[in-house]
Amino acid sequence: MSELDLTALPRPVKQPWQVRNPRNTWLVAAASVLPMLLSVLITVVANIDATLATILVFLPLQIIASVGVGQYIFGKKGRGDAILVIFTIFFSTLVGVLLVSVMFSVVVDGLRAMSPQFFGQNNHYISSTTSLEYGGVGHAILGTLLIVGLTTLFTIPLGILIAIYLTETRGRMRSTVRTLVQAISGLPSVVSGLFIYAFLIAPSFSSHGLTQQAGWVGSVALFPLMLPTVARIAEEALRLVPQELRNGAYALGAPAFKAFWQVTLPAAKSGLITAALLGVARIIGETAPLILTTAPSNDTNLNPFVGQIATLPTYLYGYINQVQATSQQRAWGAALVILILVFVLFTLARVLGSAKSTKAKKRK
Amino acid sequence: MENIATSASHLRSEDVNVWFGERHVLKNVSLNFPSNQVTALIGPSGCGKSTFLRTLNRMHELIPSAGFAGKVLLDGHDIYDHDVDPVDVRLNIGMVFQKPNPFPTMSIRENVLSGLKLTGRRGYNASELVETSLRRASIWNEVKDRLNDPALSLSGGQQQRLCIARSLAMDPEVLLMDEPCSALDPGSTRRIEETITELSDSMTIVIVTHNMQQAQRVSHQTAFFLAEEGNPGRVVEFGKTDDVFNSPIDPRTNDYVNGHFG
Ligand SMILES: Nc1ncnc2c1ncn2[C@@H]1O[C@H](COP(=O)(O)OP(=O)(O)OP(=O)(O)O)[C@@H](O)[C@H]1O
Ligand SMILES: [Mg+2]
Repeated sequence: MSELDLTALPRPVKQPWQVRNPRNTWLVAAASVLPMLLSVLITVVANIDATLATILVFLPLQIIASVGVGQYIFGKKGRGDAILVIFTIFFSTLVGVLLVSVMFSVVVDGLRAMSPQFFGQNNHYISSTTSLEYGGVGHAILGTLLIVGLTTLFTIPLGILIAIYLTETRGRMRSTVRTLVQAISGLPSVVSGLFIYAFLIAPSFSSHGLTQQAGWVGSVALFPLMLPTVARIAEEALRLVPQELRNGAYALGAPAFKAFWQVTLPAAKSGLITAALLGVARIIGETAPLILTTAPSNDTNLNPFVGQIATLPTYLYGYINQVQATSQQRAWGAALVILILVFVLFTLARVLGSAKSTKAKKRK
Repeated sequence: MENIATSASHLRSEDVNVWFGERHVLKNVSLNFPSNQVTALIGPSGCGKSTFLRTLNRMHELIPSAGFAGKVLLDGHDIYDHDVDPVDVRLNIGMVFQKPNPFPTMSIRENVLSGLKLTGRRGYNASELVETSLRRASIWNEVKDRLNDPALSLSGGQQQRLCIARSLAMDPEVLLMDEPCSALDPGSTRRIEETITELSDSMTIVIVTHNMQQAQRVSHQTAFFLAEEGNPGRVVEFGKTDDVFNSPIDPRTNDYVNGHFG
């Protein structure tokens, strides 16, 4: 018997599953390009509306072409696959286009108002005829951050505690609590605002009210909107941690809270961050509760407990109803700033969520 | 390893009965596990071996539908006594599960030390403990250069040995092992068996196995479990391993150990 060669070999450049029949490649390429070209031609020649043509000309042509090619290459089963693929791509593109066009219009209209002072200045001394070079949403950004931050401060711990109660304990009230959380999640935001308004503010007209409109009242009105989102997603995240992991910790003699703290929680970490984030995203653009519970302001107010305070949604709402072009542009600018804020938050959460794995590697 | 006269505990079950919901799955299991002895639990799939093992360190009660009656005595004290904390029980009676379950957010090294951290122990030499535990679980040579890699980067069999190392680091008085070698190659299996033999110098060991040769190689005594059609599982035969395998009293034991059913 000859000597066995045990040394490692270099990886082949091309993997077997990447090798394609060149004729099939051409067919697939043709099937993905020709229907498009043909329908553009038909649309132009017959002068049909583009949206109509997409559905009545392009889609049927594309299906015929793909089914034909699918049938040719894979036989009978290729037909079903081809239809499935075409519908998936077509409708996901449709949704994608809608989403992008919404974003696009916000960005295009918003960009016109964008400038450094739009972020940095407040609205002091700004009238409806002031040009866009003056004034901005700085005060509204701060107000939104303060109010949303305050809500987040007590909602995230409470939401996660509810999730812990639902998944990690055998408490008798679990189904009641779960139903209650679900019920709250159906609460329309305007009702939440109205409720807080009626309870905390309205009596003040006869000077019996607990408080006047203020940032913290807005935070309270946002609380029932954020809580169910956080609690439900956090519950899902904790439920995804396999029971075997908890058992592994218990079998080593870990007390329940340490097992939770050192095993369950780290395993659910990225899910919990997602819960917090989607909670913030849920309320950051809420308008109705804030209109009812906060008083708009043109000045910067860093105290969410006293006085008028601006937020991005109420700023937007205040300006979009006015007729002047500059006012409307300020509103679009505020919309873009909200989008940017959400984007920054999501990026931040991604970074935080993946920080753990790199740390585990580095530690010696 | 020298033969040290040790303080390993002895364990004893008296009329252990188990239910899941209303279903009676184990009936009147009374077994004695003398200190420093290895006991093998054998029997067909589904007869209640894993379930019985879990009653021995109070992991059983973590299953919501679990029911239990009977006694489990550790050095004469009932671990099911109302003023015994199950956490203390599990500290003394370690367990290796049928399916490997390393902690996915921890590195290999952190997994070995996880028990000590989880129980708040202090004053140990970490790197020494990591090395001896991994050596005893016969996985040291494979992982010594990648101790900080995530535990999930290991193969299934390596993960199982890591879980064994994790239990060994806690130095329990009794070690319960549920088919610890079912995912291992013959070489690792042999080394784990050697480890079990060494460990019995300082521990009392209960091992569930489907491998008859393994039961004969490592155990001093053997209990044969059987659940007949619709009835709860019971111990059909219990005695010295030699006797159970070579001169069983019950004909069903004879059939099982010779591979005629199960
Ligand atoms: N969590 C549970 N809930 C309900 N029934 C269970 C549960 N765990 C086990 N059982 C039932 O209890 C019986 C004994 O199961 P057990 O896991 O102890 O068997 P086993 O002897 O370890 O089998 P195997 O050799 O396949 O591991 C089985 O009939 C099983 O269906
Ligand atoms: Mg089992």
